[in-house]
Amino acid sequence: MAALRDGDFGALQILLKLVSALHNLTRHVVYRGFNRAEDILGLFPESFHQNLKNLLTKIILENVSTWRNEAQASQISLPQLVDLDWRVDIKTSSDSIARMAVPTCLLQLKIQEDAALCGNNPVVSALTVELSKETLDTMLEGLGRIRDQLSAVANK
Amino acid sequence: MGLLNFTRDPVPEAVSGDMHNLIQLSAQQFSALTEVLFRFLTEPKEVERFLTQLSDFATMNKISLGPLKNIVKSILLVPNGALKRNLSSEQVRADFIALGLSEEKASYFAEQWKVNSPTLTRLAVGQTLMINQLIDMEWKFGVTAGSSELEKVGSIFLQLKLVIKKGSQLENVYVELTLPQFYSFLHEMERVKTSLESFS
Repeated sequence: MAALRDGDFGALQILLKLVSALHNLTRHVVYRGFNRAEDILGLFPESFHQNLKNLLTKIILENVSTWRNEAQASQISLPQLVDLDWRVDIKTSSDSIARMAVPTCLLQLKIQEDAALCGNNPVVSALTVELSKETLDTMLEGLGRIRDQLSAVANK
Repeated sequence: MGLLNFTRDPVPEAVSGDMHNLIQLSAQQFSALTEVLFRFLTEPKEVERFLTQLSDFATMNKISLGPLKNIVKSILLVPNGALKRNLSSEQVRADFIALGLSEEKASYFAEQWKVNSPTLTRLAVGQTLMINQLIDMEWKFGVTAGSSELEKVGSIFLQLKLVIKKGSQLENVYVELTLPQFYSFLHEMERVKTSLESFS
């Protein structure tokens, strides 16, 4: 890397301070959930350059929902279920009994570790689980109850 | 001895002698012993109870417990093999006769076998190998109120705890789902249920 001249160093410092300040501003807007121009305009000091203020506000407004969605997607959480595959097998024979016809289900859950911990390289692990028909029925009962409670909450 | 149905391996020497000794039991005594045996076969975890009942039988009928246990071991060879090979009651009866049991007692045992075989089959199927069997599922759902990045959020989350049997140990797996993921999970599980039901 070429050596910096004194003048360049000063300019670089100012640039970094600017980026940092912009970052703080946008984070604050995202945190407070501002989606109206007035809220954002109010953040700038009185003496701030009018046109620049309007331009910045416009750009920030355009990006605020994208930034909010990104923040929500990368918030801390338990491992997330990212994919689900299944297959149904019929067990025909085993060491304890020579002939049978028992259907069983294999579920493969793809689970992604906490996005906040892994940054750009999320670790996805696959877990294969076997369920008998009885277990599946019980599970569906539980899931049905969740769905009912969710609709009750949504309808309030 | 001709070919037996319940096993392809040669039968231990002692078995013929044990079967022969059963001649000493009256029909009533044999029926009581059979009842004890089937009670054990349908509830294989109740070993203590089985041994107690055997010892009571020995005392009540003035038979020594040692020889009785050997006889019982020989008798049990047949139902165990019969279960593995899905034998009919006719085949069980034929095997007992081939081993030296009287026709009357063999028929009686085979009858009891027929009566108990649905329960026994269900038990055997239940013992079949399962990979990472799902034992239990616990859940909770709630609302995310806020985070360090977002002051007010208000999104719904669902957390599942799956208890899985890995070998002989239980392992807990925690998973979080968003609302759309939950609905798609529910939808997939309903499809699985339809598929399983069409094969039952």
